[in-house]
Amino acid sequence: MTRAELLQIFRSTASEIAEKDLQNVEETRVIAELGIDSLELLEVIGSLERDLNIRVPDDQLVGIQTVGQLISLVADKMPMNG
Amino acid sequence: MAPSDQDTLVSCLANLPRGEARGFRFRNLLGGEDGNERYFPFQELEREAKVRAARLHALGLRKGDRIALVIADPAEFVLSFLGAAVGGIVPVPIYPRASFKAKNAYVETVSHIVKAAGAKVLLLTESSKPVVEEVLQHDTGLSELVVLEEWLTRPVVPTTLPTIAPEDLCFLQFTSGSTSLPKGVMVTHRNLVANARAFLGERGIARTDDDVAVTWLPLYHDMGLIGFVLGTLVCNINTVLLPTEAFGRRPNVWIDCMHKYGGTITFAPNFAYGLATKRARDKDLEGLDLSKWRIAGCGAEPINPKVMREFAERFARCGFNANALMPAYGMAEATLAITFHTRGTPIITDRVDADRMQQGKAVPTDAPAEGVGGVLELINCGHPFPGHAVKIVNELGETLADREVGEIWANGASITAGYYGNPEATAATYTDGWLHTGDLGYMVNGDVYVCGRLKDLIIIRGANFYPQDIEWAVAEVEGVRRDNVVAFSVMREGEETLIVSAEGNSTDAATLRRTIATKVMETTGLAVGHVAVVKVGSLPKTSSGKVQRRRTKALFESGQLEEHS
Repeated sequence: MTRAELLQIFRSTASEIAEKDLQNVEETRVIAELGIDSLELLEVIGSLERDLNIRVPDDQLVGIQTVGQLISLVADKMPMNG
Repeated sequence: MAPSDQDTLVSCLANLPRGEARGFRFRNLLGGEDGNERYFPFQELEREAKVRAARLHALGLRKGDRIALVIADPAEFVLSFLGAAVGGIVPVPIYPRASFKAKNAYVETVSHIVKAAGAKVLLLTESSKPVVEEVLQHDTGLSELVVLEEWLTRPVVPTTLPTIAPEDLCFLQFTSGSTSLPKGVMVTHRNLVANARAFLGERGIARTDDDVAVTWLPLYHDMGLIGFVLGTLVCNINTVLLPTEAFGRRPNVWIDCMHKYGGTITFAPNFAYGLATKRARDKDLEGLDLSKWRIAGCGAEPINPKVMREFAERFARCGFNANALMPAYGMAEATLAITFHTRGTPIITDRVDADRMQQGKAVPTDAPAEGVGGVLELINCGHPFPGHAVKIVNELGETLADREVGEIWANGASITAGYYGNPEATAATYTDGWLHTGDLGYMVNGDVYVCGRLKDLIIIRGANFYPQDIEWAVAEVEGVRRDNVVAFSVMREGEETLIVSAEGNSTDAATLRRTIATKVMETTGLAVGHVAVVKVGSLPKTSSGKVQRRRTKALFESGQLEEHS
């Protein structure tokens, strides 16, 4: 899966959970500025975990600030693309 | 053995039935859909608590000493808490650091609590150590950090367990007070046993041997800790505990577990019922059987009747009985529960004239909800328990009549003795056995309706936030000064929403709105509903230059707060 595809999945998941239009959010955006609170963000991650069959431990979420950093963390957990 | 008023958590633990059939099930859902479980029959909980009591004594702790607990894992938290209680040591639960939150603010919070509790030892897990150990750099009086994993490998030295009396302190509940001035509610064994037997007894939930309690509530908070750990132990109820984070990542886990374990009792704040309703897709409901569910308690934040009704409608097809909904009112200062709705009966609401409420009168109205004049629909939170009482008083402390709005006061054996080491705050909150709740409400035929708050407190998703904590954090944003920022909450679509107003220049307004929202998220985890940037000097202040939260809120609500675009 490409990084652009991961970003797209993040956008649609976050839009659905936070009930906001986040379809055009770029990687440089600071998550706290998106109007998503920490509980909604945790749910976004839970949803990505299930959709992508990955596991993102809670302690690794500490310090994540931008959408890009979150995408990198998720990409890290993905099995190597064949 | 028959219940006695000399009982303590420790004697109740010793009197729980033996055998494999009754106990606590800790379900870990973080390892994937299947997860794993740790099951402790009650006698195992007691045995392990005694071992941990000996381990705590080996650290030099003795009866009455305080120990801070920062343990996210529910099973390890419960076992360590019980170990302290059995050993006569006073546990001080502290919330683990939440994801995404700024480290410094968290370390400061922990430091203030450790200091206020006078805890010499802090027990934590390996994973939290890198952050929590920074507490040692603060002036707290803390002398030792003990890492749970290593502590459990040390040899056990036999000890003599002290006698625990009902008036002994059981634990300190630190959910009141601001970050810099936290207040630890002193819960004695007598308070705990009295409250648990009240809310789980005949006039409350009326526990039976067949009940299964299910919770994902955080255990450092009174509703989770007393409702689903200490209360269920005092009253012998089989309990399933899920990590809070599991609910955060997948809200459906809650309802799924009610089905899977045949749950009969659960409690959650209003927001969780709304979230569960929203997240349940039709296919998620297929095959779910919720017909055993008889108590769906709701408390810890204002209850929106609409959310309750929508939940009942959504899950009716799974056999959920709307009469299971049980609005409740309580707070840590009253141990936990103050009033409960009558179990097994339909929820009751009161539709009152919003204008008349402004004048302190709850006047029923037949006007349609959509009417211009404004109608408030408030939920009936039920009545106090036997041996307990509630009254509504005015500013002079005089008892008010039915349907007159005033401060809610409560008394009875559940009312705690006050805040640890803080006689001033205690004197301001408790008089002659009456707890001044700081909440506004009225009564009708002995039932309580909560309609507002005297105290400057913001409650979002069942968690308490103090405006000054948010204001001080925002004051660190460049372009904002302390005493030029106000935080308060307003009700939007039945939910409490955070509003921050700060003074600033019009050219900076857009940037300020973004940076303030970011700062609030980092320190509290909250999304600000709205950041109002206003002209410098325009926030209402007292003669001494302090901002006036209530006047600012009134200006905002009436549309008179002039914001930069």
